[in-house]
Amino acid sequence: MNKTPSFKDVFLKNAVIFNPVLIQLAGLCPVVAASSSLKSAVILSAVAFAELIAVSVIASALLKKLSRWIRVPLYFVIGLVLICPALWYVETQTLAVLTMSIKIFIPLIAINSVVAVHCEQFAVKNDVKTAFLSSAAAGMGASVVFVATGALREIIGSSSIGGILLNLPLSFKGMTLPFGCLILLGFMSAALKTFIGKKHPEYSAVHSSVAAKPGDELNEKENVSEKEPEEIPLPAEEEIQYSVPEEYARIRTEEEIEEFFKSLGLDFDEKGDEK
Amino acid sequence: MKVFTELFIVAFYTVFVQNLVLSSGLGISEAIRVSAKPGTFGRIAVMISGFSVVTGTLCGLIDMIPAVSGVSFAVRGLIYGGVLAAVFALVAVIAKFLFGTSDKFLSTLGIAALNTLVFAVPHINNHAAYSLAGCVGSGIGAGAAFVLAALLINKGSQLLKENEDIPEVFKGTPAMLFYVAMISLAFAGFSDTNIFG
Repeated sequence: MNKTPSFKDVFLKNAVIFNPVLIQLAGLCPVVAASSSLKSAVILSAVAFAELIAVSVIASALLKKLSRWIRVPLYFVIGLVLICPALWYVETQTLAVLTMSIKIFIPLIAINSVVAVHCEQFAVKNDVKTAFLSSAAAGMGASVVFVATGALREIIGSSSIGGILLNLPLSFKGMTLPFGCLILLGFMSAALKTFIGKKHPEYSAVHSSVAAKPGDELNEKENVSEKEPEEIPLPAEEEIQYSVPEEYARIRTEEEIEEFFKSLGLDFDEKGDEK
Repeated sequence: MKVFTELFIVAFYTVFVQNLVLSSGLGISEAIRVSAKPGTFGRIAVMISGFSVVTGTLCGLIDMIPAVSGVSFAVRGLIYGGVLAAVFALVAVIAKFLFGTSDKFLSTLGIAALNTLVFAVPHINNHAAYSLAGCVGSGIGAGAAFVLAALLINKGSQLLKENEDIPEVFKGTPAMLFYVAMISLAFAGFSDTNIFG
């Protein structure tokens, strides 16, 4: 019987345990290339959050029956159709001043892998309500990473926050470059792994691999049983249907097997071929 | 001769000086994911180059239309996205119905066509005001940059897996991110970027 998961479970799994950016390594492009300041990070996270929810709900409601190779391009087209008019409105109808990188990267968010990964892993496998909740949770998880990264990069790289100068004694311009962001993400990922290891140790083994995804915890269990086979369980006594005498029903050793064949009038060599 | 020189210079610049994946972060998620499957590097690189060249060239031609050259970024994004989606749909339909390719192949085609790297190429061409030869070079360079990044990440991930000295908490994704950061830093050096300024 299917049990509807609670929001807490959905949030925990989508935002924390399988965080789209820090664990699944999806959507790295916008965070690495465009979130070098708090303002740009907030704009990008807001756009990505809204797009993820909208596309996930549409995917769950309408795209489930289509083949994967048709669905994935449709996520891109839907995202583009939603985002570009919004960007046009902001560009032409409001007084908001957007930087060049934001103008270029907002359309690129339409194609970011967070949407495709989340829709394929959750949205098309669940009902609309669950898809909405899971995408909201994943969006929150990604947005927190976007904003935290943007704020830290601006503080360390430009000695300012939200455009306000902090007059710090040291600044490291490299933090505004992609490699600085990747180092920050590495530390944040390690911190999240530590948190998961302490609070949810059942998932810690899954996260030793790169870009872990939901379902890996099941494979992990299967792999363990394949790699380290324990004693093969025998069927229950009452389930065994033998066509041999009962005294040989539970033979185990080679000697017992040989004795069994001899009793049937057969004689086998070591390779198992009949002599 | 001049055309080929421009094509080669732009391709070289896109791969080594301003590697689109490692210096700009475009398509970096896909590069990390694909790096786990070395057998698909070549195929995906060819697909990315093909889609980048065709989309970039078509968008370059569209940009030459006076009415389009002055449009806002939002409208430009919509035009470039429409061109990319149309190119993918055409290729997918031909592959499916003329050559009977499998759905798995078409999914790979979708990953290669619809990622930030391919979608960014027309924007970069427009921003850098490349000629048509430059657009072709930029497209070829994008595919080569992707395969170079995927190869470097693949080799690094093998070394990281074998390294027992990595603390448990940094194993997996954090170590991979640090490794990609180091390669990205190396490429920042090629483009003479000042990181302490």
